[in-house]
Amino acid sequence: MLSPYGLDIVESCLTCKMRAERLFCDLPTAALQSFESIKYATAYPKGAVLFVEGQAPRGIFVLCKGRIKLSICASDGKTLILKIAEPGEVLGLSAAVSGKAYELTAETIDPCQVNFVKREDFLRFLKEHSDACFKVAEQLSEKYNVACHEVRSLGLSHSAAEKLAKLLIEWSSKNGESLKQEPRLKLALTHEEIAQMIGTSRETVTRLFADLKKRQILQTKGSTLVIRNKAALRSLATTG
Amino acid sequence: MSQSCLDCAQRSDRVFCDLEPSALQEFDGIKSFQTYPRGTVLFREGQTAHSVFLVCEGRVRLSVCSESGRRLTLRTASAGEVLGLSAALSGGRYEVTAEVVDAVRAAEIGRKELLQFLRGHREVCMQVVNLLSEDLHVAYDRVRAVGLTRARHSPSQSAPAR
Repeated sequence: MLSPYGLDIVESCLTCKMRAERLFCDLPTAALQSFESIKYATAYPKGAVLFVEGQAPRGIFVLCKGRIKLSICASDGKTLILKIAEPGEVLGLSAAVSGKAYELTAETIDPCQVNFVKREDFLRFLKEHSDACFKVAEQLSEKYNVACHEVRSLGLSHSAAEKLAKLLIEWSSKNGESLKQEPRLKLALTHEEIAQMIGTSRETVTRLFADLKKRQILQTKGSTLVIRNKAALRSLATTG
Repeated sequence: MSQSCLDCAQRSDRVFCDLEPSALQEFDGIKSFQTYPRGTVLFREGQTAHSVFLVCEGRVRLSVCSESGRRLTLRTASAGEVLGLSAALSGGRYEVTAEVVDAVRAAEIGRKELLQFLRGHREVCMQVVNLLSEDLHVAYDRVRAVGLTRARHSPSQSAPAR
């Protein structure tokens, strides 16, 4: 089914070809059938907000297609991006399980397909399907790992340069790029969004990129970033 | 304090410990009970997660460390909490360092035994999910505190690692 946002919507989890590759979705048949009966397949355009930090939890959102920005906000409006969620992730989990307010704001950065499940239905589903319960525990563990990583990066890095270098190394470690002499990565975020990921200003990020290019550590080719000097970037990540 | 979970008077007040009799009996058989003096490191950030620790009495400091040795306290865990749970479940490395603040009595459960126990007792799996959700809420609060108030507060919690 084609949605208004150009997405090829997969209506049924039972026929989804991506299922086996995704941590939460690869459920035994009985659990999958049960999940299928409680989920609502929905499509969102870019820029849609699924839930807002502080809102009472309505349910969970399984991201099927697209990417979602997860952020927290200070009372003065300062925003910190915690993570860019990718397909297969379940969003709003800990809030839905505990009944506490959503801790993050989730906003789509691409057109997205999301499967929504109401909180009461999801809790009943977990009680009935221990396999799903295990997968939820794994997802929560992964999210906890990310949160600890974020605390470490924000709280213990000396400078914005160190944090930016760490972020670029982390991104380049995906898809085996870090093994290459000159790893490449697609810059999917704006300087403003990168600034929000490392807790600094847009101006600082732009200045740091210019400096890294001038020192031949980085090179840009359109939206592709090439790490030309891995050793120098690594050194920056550890010493600032 | 009793060395057996079966005789523990605090059990009903603690999220993880309030188990059904059959689960409790089995859990009692897989845990090893020990007292740890102040300063003991139960596990260190980056180590492969081999077991979890259920704190029965005392307090444990959970912290993260930078490459240069600076340390930041995440929080202090107290009785009833299960430490190392997310790392043990994911089969990864401990995300934090757990260091005994006061003398601690804790039950240690090997990762393999824990996973086997959870597979046999689905109701406990839900308790584990609840505990992990709580841990995550606290971690997000810490991200907010560290990441969004840093301009006003330098990391005073940081101290060189011992």
